[in-house]
Amino acid sequence: MWLWFAKLGSPKWFYDVSDRWLPWLAGAMALFMIVGVIWALLFLPPDYQQGLTTRILVIHVAVAGTSLAFFPLMAVAGTITLVWKMKLADMVAKNAAALGAWFSFVTLATGSIWGSVMWGTWWEWTDARLVSMLFQFFLLLSVVALRSAIEDTDKAAKACALLSIVGCINVVIIKYSVEWWNVLHQPASPLSMSSDNANGPEFWMATGVMIIAVYLFFIVSLILTTRNEILQREKRSQWVQDIVRAA
Amino acid sequence: MTQSIQFSSISEFLDMGGYAFNVWAVYAVFLVFIFVNLVFPIVRRKKILREIKKQSVFEHTDTDSTD
Amino acid sequence: MKRHRKRKLTVIIFIALGLSATVGLTLFALGQNMNMFYTPSQVALGEVGVGQRFRIGGMVKEGSFFSAPDSLKVKFETTDYVHAVPIEYEGILPDLFREGQGIVAEGSVDDKGVFSASRVLAKHDENYMSQEVKAALDAAGTDEAIQILQERSSK
Repeated sequence: MWLWFAKLGSPKWFYDVSDRWLPWLAGAMALFMIVGVIWALLFLPPDYQQGLTTRILVIHVAVAGTSLAFFPLMAVAGTITLVWKMKLADMVAKNAAALGAWFSFVTLATGSIWGSVMWGTWWEWTDARLVSMLFQFFLLLSVVALRSAIEDTDKAAKACALLSIVGCINVVIIKYSVEWWNVLHQPASPLSMSSDNANGPEFWMATGVMIIAVYLFFIVSLILTTRNEILQREKRSQWVQDIVRAA
Repeated sequence: MTQSIQFSSISEFLDMGGYAFNVWAVYAVFLVFIFVNLVFPIVRRKKILREIKKQSVFEHTDTDSTD
Repeated sequence: MKRHRKRKLTVIIFIALGLSATVGLTLFALGQNMNMFYTPSQVALGEVGVGQRFRIGGMVKEGSFFSAPDSLKVKFETTDYVHAVPIEYEGILPDLFREGQGIVAEGSVDDKGVFSASRVLAKHDENYMSQEVKAALDAAGTDEAIQILQERSSK
């Protein structure tokens, strides 16, 4: 177990393994993405209240759900950085922050575009769900800013790790804001297996495909940026030089 | 479970039940989001490899000249 | 695990626990202030003063909606199935607005208990259903079941 853990921390090991996995992950991502988008756009039946705007929610729900994974991921990576000083964990955390900010932004934008017609408002400062998601966006931006503000790589890693652990609290607030308080935002939908009910498979299956697609996209994008980070930080090592010469 | 195409013509598809602006805006944002976060890292990788190559060439000529 | 690593991990866990407790207590203390709106029952029981601006959230009572023929003036009642509050509004209503659905209105109550709204937002519940299924359910007379679902979601 500890051997495996130490191996995982080796940038070279990660680079080699991701090299083999990337084509498969990217292929699966493309497949789920294409099926998900076509299903949502063409086949999703109109909702009895909101008509065809459910096509927006398929994207919104998938991106929003995935955006909640960033702080927990960065907190785990940060803890590994702080306790075991594993270089790879910090490289993942660094690139996750920027990608997470993108996810949060797209969540806010797609939600706003839906809300503007369905709720009758683009934005409500009094809605705890909306504001806590905006807070996550700013928190992720501040992790990125903190990283670039501190020149020393180790110190920057430590500071960002701490901020990431703290940021996890906000994820809990986002998740339960719709249950704890009266807000405009609808709560999570209980899934139903039967299409004679509300939230039947004809709605959630397209969303399910899209959630898998977006998760795969998150993984593929993070692997790509982490590999770049590895190349940069390990550029003096022999194995990177070999790759450069072969390229 | 009814799973059939919900539109009978292209113009109906583009109109999205009267929500054309909102639906297509969201899919445009999504497309840009996916595109940027896949293509930028790939472009950056090429740039990084080029830079490392340049640096290592310099270093090698350095060591050659001091030898 | 080595000693110094164990110590570091313990410190991190304590920081995380301490912060969660702080945030939890803060949110608990904020309580009502974190809510976006008052319910019709709270308003009917006089929890909000006359003339004070606030938001009210509830369902649009079935059969209570009237619109003026020559203007954008509308009247309806919002209810949490315990108390109902009459609302007056002039303006464009959101696409989701209809009887039996949730709304949030911003404005104030007068001394007669009528809420005059300056803004009306529609609230969507967590139930998504295709038009076909809805029509089939209505035909089968199980509309009550949906009503119960909607009631639960609007608390």
